[in-house]
Amino acid sequence: MGGRYLARRVLQAILTITFIILLNFLLFRMMPGSPERVLARNLPEAARAQLLVRWGLDKPLIPDQLVAYVSATLQGDLGESYKFRGRSVVDVLGERIWPTLILFGLGEVFAIILGLGLGAYSGWRRGGAVDYVGNGVSLILYSMPYFVIGMALLIVFSTSLGWFPTSGMYTIGASYSGLEQQLADFLAHLALPLTTVAIGLIGQYSILMRSSIIDTLTEDYVTTARAKGLTEGRILRSHALPNALLPAVTLVAINLGYVIAGAITVEVVFNWPGIGTLTVIALSARDYPVLQGIFLLLSVSVVLANLVADILYGALDPRVRT
Amino acid sequence: MSGPLSPPASGTTEPTRQPNAAASIRGRRQWPLPKQADPDAPLLVVEGLTTHFTMESGTVKAVDDVSFRLDDGEALGIVGESGCGKTTTALSLLRLLPSNARIVRGSVRLFGIDLVPKSDSALRRYRWREISIIFQGAMNALNPVRRVGEQIAEPIELRLGVERGAALRRAGELLELVGIPRARGRAYPHELSGGMRQRAMIAMALACDPAIVIGDEPTTALDVMVQAQILDLLERLRARLGLSLILITHDLSVIADTCDRVMVMYAGKVAEEGPVHRVYRAPRHPYMQMLLRAFPDVRADRRDLGTIPGQPPDLRNPPAGCRFHPRCPAALEACRSEVPPEVRFADGVRVACHLYPPGSDGVPRALPVAGDPEPAR
Amino acid sequence: MSGAAATPANLRGERLRLRLRNLADFGRRFARRRDGLIGLVILAVFAVLAIVPTLIVGPLETATTPSGLSLQAPGGAHLLGTDELGRDMLNLTVHGARISMVIGLLATAVTILLGAVIGIVSGYLGGTTDTILMRITDFFLVLPTFVLALILAPIILDLIGSDAQILGIPSTLFVIIVVIGITSWASTARIIRSQALSVKERMFVARARVIGGGGGHIMWRHILPNVLNLIVANTVLTFAGAILTETTLSFIGLGDPLLPSWGQILNMAQSTGAPGLGAWWYFAPPATCIVLVVLSFTLVGGALDDVLNPRMRSRR
Repeated sequence: MGGRYLARRVLQAILTITFIILLNFLLFRMMPGSPERVLARNLPEAARAQLLVRWGLDKPLIPDQLVAYVSATLQGDLGESYKFRGRSVVDVLGERIWPTLILFGLGEVFAIILGLGLGAYSGWRRGGAVDYVGNGVSLILYSMPYFVIGMALLIVFSTSLGWFPTSGMYTIGASYSGLEQQLADFLAHLALPLTTVAIGLIGQYSILMRSSIIDTLTEDYVTTARAKGLTEGRILRSHALPNALLPAVTLVAINLGYVIAGAITVEVVFNWPGIGTLTVIALSARDYPVLQGIFLLLSVSVVLANLVADILYGALDPRVRT
Repeated sequence: MSGPLSPPASGTTEPTRQPNAAASIRGRRQWPLPKQADPDAPLLVVEGLTTHFTMESGTVKAVDDVSFRLDDGEALGIVGESGCGKTTTALSLLRLLPSNARIVRGSVRLFGIDLVPKSDSALRRYRWREISIIFQGAMNALNPVRRVGEQIAEPIELRLGVERGAALRRAGELLELVGIPRARGRAYPHELSGGMRQRAMIAMALACDPAIVIGDEPTTALDVMVQAQILDLLERLRARLGLSLILITHDLSVIADTCDRVMVMYAGKVAEEGPVHRVYRAPRHPYMQMLLRAFPDVRADRRDLGTIPGQPPDLRNPPAGCRFHPRCPAALEACRSEVPPEVRFADGVRVACHLYPPGSDGVPRALPVAGDPEPAR
Repeated sequence: MSGAAATPANLRGERLRLRLRNLADFGRRFARRRDGLIGLVILAVFAVLAIVPTLIVGPLETATTPSGLSLQAPGGAHLLGTDELGRDMLNLTVHGARISMVIGLLATAVTILLGAVIGIVSGYLGGTTDTILMRITDFFLVLPTFVLALILAPIILDLIGSDAQILGIPSTLFVIIVVIGITSWASTARIIRSQALSVKERMFVARARVIGGGGGHIMWRHILPNVLNLIVANTVLTFAGAILTETTLSFIGLGDPLLPSWGQILNMAQSTGAPGLGAWWYFAPPATCIVLVVLSFTLVGGALDDVLNPRMRSRR
């Protein structure tokens, strides 16, 4: 793959992350009153003085405070949480990351496989019943905020039918006889929120893939492939799909920011102990260090994910590598 | 009225039909004939081919009762305005039509085997291995995300059962055959120039050593110099490999250069067909006469270029009788109601025009030109 | 036309006739799109609800004061049941229409204004200005804007003070509007800019320059009218997005409990644990309204886009 393409993309990503850190710094300073009011609200005098020195708040804004902030951030020091007294932001975030990762990651994986698959099938076999129904359903799902889907699923499958638990990641106060039981409980709790995230995404992905395949089918190289006497399966796999996937990769990348919003709200609906519920807690407590940590974490993740998508796109489409 | 085009390429005043040309060309094939083939049958005989498109606004009768024949080693040119049905005819041979098109009637006999009634899976066997196509503007006809060499090797590997490495090697040989260094097989289509892409398409078309290669406007998107190179290449390949060629174009000079016979189509029907030099020197059908008159000649003195008044008809509702009669200056009463029958003449030319009824001598009639006295009928 | 004198009055009249004819033509073409019409009808219903809620269910106070038992199921005096405080759901939902739509409308206005201005200026001026503006735009496109909105909102709210009123709007809602605007303008700007670029290339702009029209004049009189089609289609789709974002932000807790939008109602439903208690009537009405409104905006926006900005479709 073109080294220049790769280098360009990585450079852009680094630049964007730099701006994000700068933005974070600005937000930090936007807060009303002096920063020390914000930072050291309820601390005793000695600790406050220490904090002021550490953050360089007794020094001018630029460059000293900026340098202090950036170097602290790069070293992994994001400050201390207000609400969770005394615990470092990194700590607080750390224990919440992997539930979100599981929920969000698995959801994307399912949605990509099912959504792209469904879309490709309905685009290939245009006009079937699957096509029309699928299209209509996708359009409706596209208009529903994720948490609405979540609440609906909760009411139907949890409260009314009682198939799944209503909240949390594990049953409260449960003791497990073995790993299997714990896993089963975990999965039971994971089922509905995961389905919610997946459903929200599947609609979008299938609509896009369907129109992408339809566009691909009108291309001349598909006619050439037919003229070559290749089987339909081979034409789909080897000629249509690789080209139809390109817009899909772009969409998945662009979508990430939006999906994060959805994942946050889904966590709230199901009381899933991840970054999303942490966000709501931090919001109502005005725990700014945690909020900024979340902003940094999520923004950088999106940038990195976009970078991965760009690299993937470059691997799939030789035309951009020149 | 004179033939404004330069004489056809040297040596083809009259195609000398060697008695065993067909047999010798067939003998040279790398792969055996299809199992059902009749070894004595002519290469390709199309009879009464009729293809309709079903659209929301009506049924388009794109190809109507088209018949022609192609012998081993021959090059047939199909010429006509855009929309006259020449591409549809070619696509119908292999049934590469879109889903809203069907072959309504007729037969397409390859080595005596009728392809029309065959199922899709049975027909697949003949695609590329007996008949292959070079599409117009290879810009999009090649898959942009796969290497050129792999695309050429693909039918060799999958259709002929050749092992992958050997298939790629053969692809390299084909590239050299068309004048592309075999190392360029690793390139992607967008990395090649237009002319090279077209050559690559030719190489791809030859991959399974087919009996017939159809070129659908193979030079239209290229500039004149490259066009000449491509035509030259096709001619050399034809001679060397004993290929039979169907060349579809709207450009009369291309046909003059490369083809033995020409078939003129108008509004989905055959107007005139015969040896190139006969039809070009002494066109019988008024449409062909007007076409030739509309074509500029580099060497002749400056003349007014004739235009053909009017528009090609809407094929959802073609005119009754002869489809050309609304635009024909020599239209007779019969032309408005009766479809002119095809009449074959001694010099090998076939015409469908009421000016040449069955049993007539077939001498070309001059078209009335403004100021001319009334021609004898 | 050739006979009449080309007086300013005649030219104005002629231009008016032309505009009316274009409008009628557009109306005809739009009417052929079934999906657009369905969307339009649904939107009309909600527009009525939003404009005159008092005619249908009574003033806002009747929605925000309890009038029944806590969490009553639908039936009798309360067609859609009550919430945990005993407030009538139907009432709340209808009033929520106006609040959600107004916030959406204002947020869209900010977004489109910001996006269109930046897009037109950037596209027209080109050069360094364009590069800088587009870098900023791209930055905003990559950023997860919802997260930015989440963190900006409390900051701005703390700056303004949560009890203040700006232009007659309570600060919480004002902040939501501003924050949606700040975070959504980027994609509009990109779209408008590329259209402005192609308009700039056209001859009449060069002519206007020769006559001596200044930059602002050209942008206002020549470029703007030609990107208007795109702006209109984009506005409708932005509206849908704005409503979705406002709903989500309110659900998270940034809304105003005294002026409950649909998102805010859902926030209250979630905090009382309505889904877990099986109180579906607390959740279903606002949720259905949200889905219907967003769906119709998407349908209308798509139909508008197709009619106003037709694209050649390749067919075999």
